[in-house]
Amino acid sequence: MAAESAHHEEHNHPGPRQYIVIGAILAGLTLIEFGVFYLQLDPALMTWIILVLSTSKFMLVVGYFMHLKFDDLRFSALFFSPFVIMITIAAVLMALFFNLTR
Amino acid sequence: MQYVTGIDDHRTSTGLDNRKLLMWAFLGSDVMFFGTLIGTHLIYRNRSLSGPQEEILSIPITTVSTFVLLMSSLAMVLALAAIQRGNMGGFRFWTVVVAVFGSIFIGFQMFEFAEFAHLGLTPRTNLFGSTFLVMTGFHGAHVTVGILWMWSLVFASFKGKIHQGNALQVEIAGLYWHFVDIVWIVIFGVVYLIGAYGAENRALESVEHAARAASLI
Repeated sequence: MAAESAHHEEHNHPGPRQYIVIGAILAGLTLIEFGVFYLQLDPALMTWIILVLSTSKFMLVVGYFMHLKFDDLRFSALFFSPFVIMITIAAVLMALFFNLTR
Repeated sequence: MQYVTGIDDHRTSTGLDNRKLLMWAFLGSDVMFFGTLIGTHLIYRNRSLSGPQEEILSIPITTVSTFVLLMSSLAMVLALAAIQRGNMGGFRFWTVVVAVFGSIFIGFQMFEFAEFAHLGLTPRTNLFGSTFLVMTGFHGAHVTVGILWMWSLVFASFKGKIHQGNALQVEIAGLYWHFVDIVWIVIFGVVYLIGAYGAENRALESVEHAARAASLI
């Protein structure tokens, strides 16, 4: 049963051609990030652009290369729950730190 | 007591393979680990009182090393796709590519650290040096473990221990490798690109401020 399930999961995974397309998109996004860095943009706008581009790259790798888009949802829960906790703790600490040392 | 061994050895009450479950649980804990390191770096950003800071980061060089690491991730999934199709030659080729690209990335990191030391930035120099070098150093250590893992897979495949029937072992190694990649995606975006943006101007302002303060004394 486990073997059948694993076999079924493998069939759900993308093929080499899709992997290469994802790799090309990742390379393109990295090139855009590099270009954006040298544009004389407002720092706040630049920060948001980089955050969006980095998040897109992150989700592509997690979703397609790590197969979370195709695998059992409990793997996603196991990975993203600590992620939410970590971002919350970091945000709270940064807010506290900046307010205390202002 | 007798234990029955067979194909369902790794099945759990959840219906998920325990090895894959363990790897995802480990990666979840590693998220917290790197989150702490990156968070600490961000909290102490622009708080160093002396020594070089983000203005010494080389974006062109780091973009190239980021590209190399991303392509190693692509090679990793191609290695997995190859072994799942029983193509052992393809699996060995792409796994060696992963290990080589990982080594190139480490080479870039060693070059960067040597440059920083030359410019006077070490973990002892200031807050930036401590938090940046610990964070990227731990990431480099993770990459190094991944490289050793890749070579062990290649050697194990020659001994017949890695084959199409247990491709899950390659998938688990791949999860680790891709995790190292996504951590770098975050570090490159948040620490390098956002951190270094306008850093030269900030450094100049800081020098001018110090000069004005000195002239007042």
